[in-house]
Amino acid sequence: MIPRRPLTRPNMSSIRWLLTFILLIVGVSVQNSDAAGPLNVYVVNYPLKYFAERIGGDHVRVKFPVAADVDPAYWNPDLADIAAYQQADLILLNGAGYAKWVANVSLPRSKIVDTSRKFKNRYIYTEEVATHSHGAAGEHAHEALAFTTWLDLEFAAQQAGAIAAALSRKRPELRNGFQSNLEALVTDLKGLDRDIQTMVSKNPAIPLIVSHPVYDYFTKRYGLNVVSVHWEPDEVLHNRQLRELKGILQQHPAKWLIWEGPPIPASVAKLKTLGIDSLVFAPCGNVPDSGDFMTVMRHNVEDLRRAFSVTQ
Amino acid sequence: MIAISNLKFSYRIGNFTLHIPEFSVDKHEKIAVIGPSGTGKTTLLNLIAGIIVPSRGSIRINHTSVDQLNDAQRRQFRITHIGFVFQDFELLDYLNVYDNILHPCRITKALQLDPAVRQRARMLAQEMGIGDKLKRQASDLSQGERQRAAICRALLPRPGLILADEATGNLDPENKTRILDLLFRAVEEHDTTLLAVTHDHELLKRFDRIVDFKEFRD
Amino acid sequence: MLVACITLISFLPFALQLLLHESERQLMSRAVETPLVVGKKGSSLDLVMNTLYFGDDVPELLTMAASDRIADTDLSLPIPMYVRFKTRGNPIVGTTLDYFEFRGSKMARGRQMAVLGDCVLGARVAESLDLKPGDSLVSSPESLFDLAGVYPLKMKVAGVLQKSHTPDDRAVFVDLKTAWVIQGLGHGHQDVTQLKDPTLVLKRTESNVAATAKLFHYTEITEKNMASFHFHGNLSAYPISAIIAVPYDAKSGTILRGRYLSKNETQQIAKPEEVIDGLLQNIFRIKNVLDAVIAMVTLATVLAVILVFALSLRLRQREIQTIFKIGCSRMTTAKLIAAEIVIIIFSSAVLCSVLMVVVRSVANDLVRMLFIK
Repeated sequence: MIPRRPLTRPNMSSIRWLLTFILLIVGVSVQNSDAAGPLNVYVVNYPLKYFAERIGGDHVRVKFPVAADVDPAYWNPDLADIAAYQQADLILLNGAGYAKWVANVSLPRSKIVDTSRKFKNRYIYTEEVATHSHGAAGEHAHEALAFTTWLDLEFAAQQAGAIAAALSRKRPELRNGFQSNLEALVTDLKGLDRDIQTMVSKNPAIPLIVSHPVYDYFTKRYGLNVVSVHWEPDEVLHNRQLRELKGILQQHPAKWLIWEGPPIPASVAKLKTLGIDSLVFAPCGNVPDSGDFMTVMRHNVEDLRRAFSVTQ
Repeated sequence: MIAISNLKFSYRIGNFTLHIPEFSVDKHEKIAVIGPSGTGKTTLLNLIAGIIVPSRGSIRINHTSVDQLNDAQRRQFRITHIGFVFQDFELLDYLNVYDNILHPCRITKALQLDPAVRQRARMLAQEMGIGDKLKRQASDLSQGERQRAAICRALLPRPGLILADEATGNLDPENKTRILDLLFRAVEEHDTTLLAVTHDHELLKRFDRIVDFKEFRD
Repeated sequence: MLVACITLISFLPFALQLLLHESERQLMSRAVETPLVVGKKGSSLDLVMNTLYFGDDVPELLTMAASDRIADTDLSLPIPMYVRFKTRGNPIVGTTLDYFEFRGSKMARGRQMAVLGDCVLGARVAESLDLKPGDSLVSSPESLFDLAGVYPLKMKVAGVLQKSHTPDDRAVFVDLKTAWVIQGLGHGHQDVTQLKDPTLVLKRTESNVAATAKLFHYTEITEKNMASFHFHGNLSAYPISAIIAVPYDAKSGTILRGRYLSKNETQQIAKPEEVIDGLLQNIFRIKNVLDAVIAMVTLATVLAVILVFALSLRLRQREIQTIFKIGCSRMTTAKLIAAEIVIIIFSSAVLCSVLMVVVRSVANDLVRMLFIK
């Protein structure tokens, strides 16, 4: 029988080194799975940015290059912006024709997520459209889709779901985390949705006027009785607009006008002479001056509550 | 120089037999061999050169019994002691004159191609009057010039014996005389013996001795 | 002359072998790299040749809905392709940015296509047409008198790709939407509702303005007029020639293939590797015939060369006799003759090798020029 060498000190030292080496390798390989870094996510509007950050947390770096004073739906990127979008890990689109610039640029389809794809059969087409025709094809309409889908909080939850799914495909090992974050977000959105439904149920047929045709999804979701004008909150109302309003009021005796941004006091005063009060419901397409999407929406609901609290 | 005794030779095919009881050539002699065609004149030259071997008899050149040598030894002897001049010159048309003269040195190790040999080739060409034609292709030379080049080639290894087989046979009368003059002068100047087969009876008087081959035919 | 003859007869079968091997390699490598191709039911060879090698024969067209169908399965990344138009003899490949990532293409100069009207050139196109980023290139009309169809679009060269030694080097890449603009499915023009020139307006009502045929459609997309470019109808109905499907894993690829097996299916899914392998089998059958012919020609030439050598020896018999008489041994004579033969064959071998080196260096481009258009 061959005598074994006892575990002498030099041997123990070797084993210690070996174990350290193995642990190092394992540690590096574990680290490597996180070493990919956060996902570079580009979005086309603020709600998507908010949703992506709520769901992705530290695992995403969300970029939204639109200046704060620009309407993202009509923003046009320059070549550097387009290149940045092309390099992203994910490009979150709102869908429903939001961000017209997307139609004329080249983006990698594998990275694009159309967050409203699942409910595209429920898009709203706006009625007031000027068509034109030319050539042999005959008449064709440049139809407009209503695109503020996130104002329907059920749709917003679906858009958030699409974002979570996209993030999970990219980082399957973080799926559980994304899912729990999504659930928290959806809980918040559904809570707000319930609040609005409860609020509206008190006075569902109350006639309302909105300053801009951006509330289609909101009005449809909650069954509001709404007529839209096309006024800017930062412009003084002139007489033609007031005449237009009077004509509307004959068929639609509204007492509240919903602005998309804080109206100037002169306009508010003029409306008051016609017995109309003003409230603000910010669509929140771009980054708010303060707070976040949920705080803005809660503030919107609180302001709207004034219209539904008053008994007609 | 040459001593042939009781020589007998037959070709395998045909019934030609050459029988020479006695034949000798002294050193520095210029011998003309004449006779009708088919009597074995060229055969004699080939026997003396060791190209073919007699079935009987002896051939001694100086003190060497050529008939006793093996193939390689005969070849060695031939290239160092015998110079051949042919009726049809037998130059290589694709080589120039200089390379034709040096050709024997390139095909056997028995002759060294060194500067001295090259110098000798140029000197021989000069002597023969073709010194300025060394770079020309052999095919570009006249009949007379070609035969002179052939004589240079034959003289290059300093042979003791020149065998000329109808060397003037293909030349015009003027060239015949000229070539024979050159050949005789070369034989004298280079200390060689000449054994020439010829049909030219006009030139016979210039030789030291005439051997009529009718005597040897069986 | 003999050297040339032997060189040629040695070179031909080797060169042919090399070229066929190179064409096999090029065809197969491209095919192996492309997992699946989806197209309209029909000739799978036409489909693969058009999609992978940008061949001239355009298969029956699909619509973008076919690409959406694949995207919806979540089994595969669809890369739609529209290879139909040409510009100065070079194929215009309408596709998406995913194509470049899939092929591992890198930019040599300039940038990737970004906006409508941009094009990215293959390396050989840029060389042959002497174009660089910032230059422009006009698409060719499909036919001389196609007045109402495809009209020339002036495209802007955004970038040039690095040489890849694939058919991509000879292509001009545009976004799918640009390809549709070339076809006339998308266009840009003045705002019809704002027209002042009465000759441009056919009829104006409250809800519609009809323009006359005089209305000018832009033939170049610029920063100023890009916003006016639009597409009519649903983009899902827009045409493409094929889809490269890149399955996320092997199982997904198998499942995807299974979805196209139905008898009522109007589309086909092809594995390019199998299609090209079948093509090469046919080529090799022809090659075997060619090999047999070349073998017979070679045999005849070898016999002729042997005859030439034999005749040469016969003609040189006298010379051989002469040098023998002078003192050359028969062995040396044999060695001299053998050396001549060896020198001739060696010279031919060297020449043949040089020619083979030359052919090998240009085989890539030669094969593409001769066999793969």
